[in-house]
Order: sequence, then C-alpha cells, then structure tokens
Amino acid sequence: MSKKPDRRLIFSVVLIFLAIPLTIAFGMSVLHDRRYYFVSVAILIYTMLPFLLSFEHRRPKAREVILICSLSAISVIGRAAFFMIPEFKPVAAIVIIAGICLGPESGFLVGALSGFVSNFFFGQGAWTPWQMFSFGIIGFLAGFLHQRGILNENRAVLCVFGGLSTFVIYGGLMNLSSALTVSPGFGQDVFWATFLAGIPFDLVHAASTVIFLLFIAKPMTERLIRIRVKYGLMEDKDSSAQ
Amino acid sequence: MEQLKISGLNFTYPGRDGKDLSDISLTVQKGDFILLFGRSGCGKSTFLKQLKPAIAPYGRRSGRIEYDGTEITELSERDQSSKIGFVSQNPENQIVTDKVWHELAFGLESLGYDNRTIRLRVAEMASFFGIQDWFLKPVNELSGGQRQILNLASVMVMQPEVLLLDEPTSQLDPIAVSGFLAMLRRINEELGVTILLSEHHLEEVLPICSRVLFMEGGRLLLDVTPRELGSCMKRLKSEMTEALPACVKIYAAFSEGETPITVREAKQWLSTQISPAPKSPASPEDKPLFPRRNVQEPAVRLEEIWYRYEKKAEDIVKGVSMEIPQGCLYGIVGGNGVGKSTLLSVIGGVNQPYRGKVKLMGVALPKIPNGERYRGLIGYLPQDPCSLFVRNTVGRDLEDMAYAAFSDRQTAQKRMERVIDFFHLKPLLGRHPYDLSGGEQQCAALAKVLLTDPRIILLDEPTKGIDAVFKKRLSKLFYTLKEQGKTVILVSHDIDFCAHYMDFCALMFNGEIISENETRKFFMGNSFYTTAANRIARGIFPGGLTSEDVIEQCRKNRIGG
Amino acid sequence: MTTENNGRDAFSAYHPVTLFLYFCTVLFFSMFFLHPVLLAISLASVFLYSVLLSGRKAVRFNLLWMLPVTLLIALVNPLLNHSGATILLYVNDNPITLESTVFGLLSAAAFVSVVIGFSCFNVVMTSDKLMYLFGRMIPVLSLMFSMTLRLVPRYKAQIRKISEAQKCIGCDVSQGGIFQRIRNGVHIVSILITWALENAVETADSMKARGFGLKGRTTFSIYSWKRRDKTLLAVQLALLAVVFAGMGMGAFETACFPFVRIAGLSGKSVAFFAAYALFCLLPAIVDGKEYFVWNSLKSAG
Repeated sequence: MSKKPDRRLIFSVVLIFLAIPLTIAFGMSVLHDRRYYFVSVAILIYTMLPFLLSFEHRRPKAREVILICSLSAISVIGRAAFFMIPEFKPVAAIVIIAGICLGPESGFLVGALSGFVSNFFFGQGAWTPWQMFSFGIIGFLAGFLHQRGILNENRAVLCVFGGLSTFVIYGGLMNLSSALTVSPGFGQDVFWATFLAGIPFDLVHAASTVIFLLFIAKPMTERLIRIRVKYGLMEDKDSSAQ
Repeated sequence: MEQLKISGLNFTYPGRDGKDLSDISLTVQKGDFILLFGRSGCGKSTFLKQLKPAIAPYGRRSGRIEYDGTEITELSERDQSSKIGFVSQNPENQIVTDKVWHELAFGLESLGYDNRTIRLRVAEMASFFGIQDWFLKPVNELSGGQRQILNLASVMVMQPEVLLLDEPTSQLDPIAVSGFLAMLRRINEELGVTILLSEHHLEEVLPICSRVLFMEGGRLLLDVTPRELGSCMKRLKSEMTEALPACVKIYAAFSEGETPITVREAKQWLSTQISPAPKSPASPEDKPLFPRRNVQEPAVRLEEIWYRYEKKAEDIVKGVSMEIPQGCLYGIVGGNGVGKSTLLSVIGGVNQPYRGKVKLMGVALPKIPNGERYRGLIGYLPQDPCSLFVRNTVGRDLEDMAYAAFSDRQTAQKRMERVIDFFHLKPLLGRHPYDLSGGEQQCAALAKVLLTDPRIILLDEPTKGIDAVFKKRLSKLFYTLKEQGKTVILVSHDIDFCAHYMDFCALMFNGEIISENETRKFFMGNSFYTTAANRIARGIFPGGLTSEDVIEQCRKNRIGG
Repeated sequence: MTTENNGRDAFSAYHPVTLFLYFCTVLFFSMFFLHPVLLAISLASVFLYSVLLSGRKAVRFNLLWMLPVTLLIALVNPLLNHSGATILLYVNDNPITLESTVFGLLSAAAFVSVVIGFSCFNVVMTSDKLMYLFGRMIPVLSLMFSMTLRLVPRYKAQIRKISEAQKCIGCDVSQGGIFQRIRNGVHIVSILITWALENAVETADSMKARGFGLKGRTTFSIYSWKRRDKTLLAVQLALLAVVFAGMGMGAFETACFPFVRIAGLSGKSVAFFAAYALFCLLPAIVDGKEYFVWNSLKSAG
C-alpha cells in the first residue's frame, strides 16, 4: 500500500516542476500571440489528471462506478431536456448535489463525465476540456465545503453556492476560453468585450442552477441517502456476504 | 458427479425474525437442469443468490454450500466469477456497457484475458447464440428478448460450469420466452452446463428440465422429476397447483403417477381415454352468453383511429374501429410490437390520433377537459408500475394522490380507506414502493389509479411478472370492479389469463384489430393462438377452453373412473 | 451531432490511433499556430474532409454558420483592439491598426478550422474508438464513459414513460397552473432519479457477478493493427517529424504584436509546409485512392 502515495507524489512533482514550466516555456518561445490560450488549456488538463488517475488507481467498486454514471447520465438528460433555452441546464445543480452526497471526488467525476458525455451528444469542440474542468471543480468544491461543514443541505445556502459557483467558476472559465480564442492576450478591449458578452448567458445559467437546486435538492438528496443506507454504498462492507 | 452440495442452509435477512430460507439440503449433479418453482417471495431468488456469494444479500447464513467439495465462500473471487454465472430478471438492468460487443467482452476483461483470447471467445459465443448480426449495435436498439439473450451470452463467454437464472423470462413476451428457453436447452444439452432456473412459465420448462424443486415459505418441499410434479403437488394441496400447465392439471385430475408434460402427450392420452366421437360435444353456443348491455352508450368507441409517433414514422395503429360496452372485462391480445400498448394509450388520451375519433361514454375525448378526464373517467395503469410512484412510502404516495384529486380532505380520506381495504394494502403502507414484490407493486399502483374512482380502467400488461396466485387475486379484483359497473380494458400477452377471466377478447395484428368476439367464441375460432387446454381438447371436446372446462368435460364422459 | 458519415469515407476505417493522431495534429496546429500558410492548409483540408464525410450538408453548414462568425471575429478585433504599431486609419478617433486586423483575420481562420475539424472529429471518432484509445490509459473511466452512454438513451425512454404515466393520473407538465406544472415536472425528475438509482444497484450486481473489481482487468477492443494501418502510421510519423523540425527551426513563427512578423517562405520552409499539407490531406488522398481502385475494379469487371 505504501507504493501508491509515492507514485502520486512523483506524479505531482513531475507535473509541477517539469510539465508546467516546460509548457509555459514552449508557449512563450514558440506560440507568441497564442501562448495564453495554449498554457491555460494545458494547465486545465494537468489539473484534471491527478483526479482521474487517483480514481483509476484505487480500483473503485461497482456500485460507486454505476452511481457516478447514473448521476452523469441524469444530468446529460437534463441538459438535453432544456436544450431549447440556451444555457438553461441542470448539470451544475446535479453535480453539486452529487458532491454533497457522495464526496468531493465523486462530485468532480460526475461533473467531468457529464461535460464529456453531453458533448458526445451536442458535439465535441475546443470547449470540452473547459466544460469538464468547470463542472468538475464545482462538484469538487461542493463536496469539499460540505465536508468542512460550510455547505449543508440548507436550501438557501445551497442556492447561493450554486448560483455563485455557476456564475463565477463556470461562467468565468468559459468566457475566459472564448476570450482567449479571439484575442491575443489578457487586458485588451477585445478580451473584455468577449468576456463580458458571455455574462447574460452566465446569469441565465446561474439562475437555472438556483431554480433546479431549489426544486430538486431535497428529493434528490433524500433518494441518494436512501440508496446509500439501503445498499451500503460508498462504504467498505461492499465486498462479500456474511 | 456432485457439483453443488447444500446442507442445512438457513438464511435470515437483517432485522427479520423468521427465517427466509430454512434448512435446505440439496445435491446438484453435473449437467442437471433444475427448475425452481414457487410463489414469488418464497425464497427462490434468495436461494439462488446464496450460490453466488459475490451478489449474496446481507444477512445471517448458516449451513454449508460446497462447490466441487470446497465451501463456496472460500472459492477465489476469480473462480466464483467465472464458474458460476448469474442471469436475473430485468434484462435492461444487467447490461452495463453501450455496445453489444463490449457487453460480451465485459466479463472476460474483468478476468484479465488478453485481446486474442477475448476475441476468440466472443466470436464463438456470438456464433453460438446467433448474435453476429447485431454484434456492433448499440444495446438500446435491441428488443427485450434480444437483450436477455445478450445477458445470457455475456455470462456464457466466461465459460461457467453452473448457470443460475432468476426468473429470466418474466419480463419477456411469449415468443422471446420460447427463444430464450430454447437457448437454455442448447446450453444444457450441447455444452453440459448445469442449470438452476426459477420460472413461472412451467408449460415450456417442464419438457426440458430434469428436476423440479418446489419451494414455499423458504422451505424446499419437493424435489421430483417433471413427470412426478403434478401428482405430488396435488398431494401437497398447495395453492400453486393453479400454476401447473394444462396438460399436467387435466391428467392429474384423474390419474395418479407420471403425468404428460407436453400438449402432444396430453392429447395422445386423452384420445386413448375417449372414443373419437364424444357423446355430447359442448358447442360454444350452449354456453350462456355474457349479457351485452346495448342500451347504454359504449364505454369506448373508436372510429377509424390512425396513429404514429412521428410525422415521418410508420403508422402504429391503422384505422382501428371498435366498441367496448360498459361494465365488461375486455382483453386485447396479440404479439409483440403490434400496437396494443399504443392503442391503449390512444384510448387513454395520452397520445392523440392524427385521424379518427375516440369517444368515451359517448363524448369525444378532446372535448373532455383534463380535469375530468383523469378525475373519475379514465384510470390508466402503465406497464411499469414504478413510473407512478413519487413518494418514499406507499401510504404517502396514496395520500399525495388523494389530496391532489379531491379538494375536500374528508372525501380524500374516505376514498383512501376504501382503496386500501379493497387492495389489502394496510401492511404495505409504510414500505418503500421499490421494496415491494412485482405483484404488490402492481396492486399499489392500481390502488393509486383507482383512487379517483374512474369508470374506465385501462391496464397495460397487468399480469407481467406475477405468479399464478397473484393473478387469481387480480382477477377477483377485476370481477368486483365489473360488478360496480366499471369497464376494464387490458392489453396482454397472457392468453390463459384472458381466456379465463375476460368477457370479450380482440386480436390485434399489424396495427389492426383482426378479430373480436366474446371470449369463448373468440378462442374457439383460433387454432394456434389459443390456450394449451384448448389445443389439447381440440378435436376431442370442441368446447374446452380452460383446463377446468376440459376436466369437466372429461368428468361428463367418465374418464378415469 | 451535426453531421454523419455517409459511408463514402475510407479514411475513418483506419486504426483509431492513426485517426486520433490526425485530429490531434490538425487541431493542435490550427488552435495554436497563426501562420497564414499553415492556417490556409488546415482550413482547406478540414473543409475538404468535412465534404468528403457529409457531402452537401457540410458545405451548407460551413457557409451558413461559419461565414458570419468569421466576419464577426475578423471585424471585432480591429475595432476593439488598438494595440499595434502600424495605424491604417481612424474610425471615430480610434486607430485601426494593421496588426490587429491581421490578428483578427488569422484568429477567425483558426476558429473556423477548429470548429470544422471538430465536426469531422465528431463523425469519425465514435464512442468505440474513443473507448479504445482511452481504455489503455484509463480503463475504469473509459468504461464509465461507455456506461453513461448506455444510460442516456435508456433514461430518455424512461422519462417518456414516466410523463405518460403521470399524465394519466392528472400530473402532467402540460396541465394546471404554472406552480402545479413545476411541481409535476419535479415529480417526474424525482421519479426518474429514484428509478435510476434503484435499478443501478442491480446493474452493479451484474458487474460484480461478472468479476468487476478483480485485479488485472484488461480492455478488449474490436480494432487490430493491419498492415495498411502501420503503413499509414509510419507515413504520418515521418511527415510529423518534418513538421516538428520545421517548428523547431522557427518556420511557423508568427506574431502580430507589437508589429506583424511572419516567418517568410524559403526553399526549406516550403518543404515543411508541404509536409504539413500532405499530412492534412491524408484523408483526401486515402479516399481518392479508394475511389480509383473501385472504379478500375468496376471497369475491369
């Protein structure tokens, strides 16, 4: 068992001291006006890797796996159900509830998987890693804050967190990505114009998260807790009878 | 050779007093094909799952289960996974991945085989099961029957020595059932795999199995050959005698000993008992006809109904016209995908026909406001009762519905009490709807539908996955509803059920109603699509539709003494 | 998905690794390199490939949606970004610079190449292929990808069933006041969630029954390396080596600010661009070859 954390440590060290500086160096020296875009995409992917790999290495249980998949599929369906209203989607709400009920790691995975799979239906694009990361981090944060006792099942707190995280994290990151595709760097008017142009959409998205949380947080948490209790999910007694 | 040796097996679920399995001892030989038979909830599933520790439920277990001489829990996880295969009831739930090929490979991936080996084994199995045509397809394009065959195949690729099947055909239509069972027979005969199967379709399993176990209340009551089953069950006086196939029932009513187990054998036996020209063949006309209440408006009147799901899709319902009188039990039978369920949903107003008229109680359906339509006129029970439950307990679910339907709290309370009494739901009120058995779920859902006291009750496959005893109970409920003047319309694959209890039947084929008549006349007119009893008695007693009919006819002709 | 493979494309039948390498390269260079020649090559070849894949539909999509977006990006930059040394003219006292005009044009071309490139990606890289690619590196996650893909259509069908059932007991989203409708909608969602989670447990059992969680799980694939795949990969790698050498030697250097510097064309750099063009046109070359082979077979027969 002592081998595992070592490997993870080595991985992070390599990432922080080798991969990231190299990426930045490459971007700066070769890419000129595209350096910010390149570096941010690369760092996004580097940040997701440890989450994904550590999950992969601990060989998750069948019930854990299927639960994460079910929640992701539900959020994909939710996104499809409201596709006619732009940016009105329940993904963030479901991801937040997953984070709270199942912990930060599962929250991250539900977010990232929802992002990836829903784009499989709506079309992959340069936005895929950004979306995976944004939803993932929202789920992670929800789980993390819940563990710290800051975020509870109180609906008001939940809605505030949902609205803010959707607006700031998801909105911020997605606008950053589109701003970086059309402008050479930070700070110019083009950058800000593109960035700000996204805000009305972000407001709709944040509002949709609040609305969904308001309505489905309670029934959904109830159901997740029932499943956890009834089948002893996410606990170690999963393996054998007796 | 002994493959499984079970001695003194007891099992109790956590938090329960009585034993859920008590003192089961059994030896299974290599190559046995064993049918496990009993009411739902008698412990069949619990027992089967004990033989596969990876999925055994939590609880207290005592006694020994030996697999090839080793205690089963001491087998390595690897051996357990590959040597003992398990197929359960719901074909959808067992499928894990999105493509057929991937599903087939899933088990072998878990066992860590290399690509070459998996390729070979998957190809072998796909050929054995004849699934090469849909090998690359996504699983959601398969039919229910194909899905269950896929589940079976993806267990078989792991080359198990024992195959455990827990009511694998209860969710399938009759044709798919035969296909599935034929496949099991091949697996048993050609590959020598030991099979333990729990099943309600005795008629088709008896001829292919080698032993029958009968369970009741967690006990193993019988361990006999298929031919001995009839007389043994008769001696036990169990209520499950009801579930025996017609050929067994008819024979066992007169003779002891080994019964015929196929229609052919029963027919041969019957013709040796009786001279070709029976004394008084009861023609259908002799039977009293069900009173047709022509004075009233028909409950349902369809005028040239056409329906399709999408503009460019094919027509599902093609110009159906029919009249269903008030206060009768009406069954619509037919194969899979002929449009029965769709027709029912059109009658229920869920889907609107693009041509033609639906009239309920003489009023055109679109003219009935939604508020009235589902508040006292139509009650519709969909195929999957689970799609109705909203709340955590049966009681709260009913309350919710009652308060939504009646603004007056007292009326709501009263209505609820009546429904709860009618369906004997008292003991279930505190349970979660998903923790109930299939039959109980059906009742709870039906109770919810009947809360609004509808005059027309539409039921989609109400007998799916329900055992014989529960079916009988359901039929009594239907009779009571009929006495109250309600109209019950059901769509079903279950020919026997319709033949026994419906007043009228209609055959649907390819989007059209092909024939329609009073039940007896209806089935007399069919030569293949009819009950087993009728097929046995055909040419001997023309009037025999149910096994009870045939037995009565035989009595009249003094067979067996 | 906007487009579908209509069966004319032979390139997409090659081994997933070669396909993935193709898309990664083309998308990488279109996203991050603004050299006009490079962009022209990328844009022309992804456009050609999208037509090969989806025929007239692709042309319509590309012109209808891509043209306005291109114009927008190309216009927004000079109008809003005034950095750059060379002033072309003034609009409302605001300088329009050459640098930012060039950048606008180039980033618009890049954007369009990426979008069209992804539209081809979505057709060619089916779930099976993605699963194969990721299955080696992250087997559990790629299995989860497959499982989620399986659940989505299943849940879709179930939602339909649930809303029909709810409609029949008078709890439909199309009935009642707005509050009642939301309540009914939430009911439908919670029924779906309950149903999904309860059924998930049985799926988990089915996974466990088939040995999920044992040590040393492998990943099966229906793809195998044929000789033609290996040949293609070798060609790809050789071309890529040339392209990367060019990148190392600065042949693709482009910077717009503070003033436009674009690496010029020389004998050497023409070779690099040719290598890149050849790489980008591989699908067209493969498809063309296939077309001639079939035609000659037909005429021979």
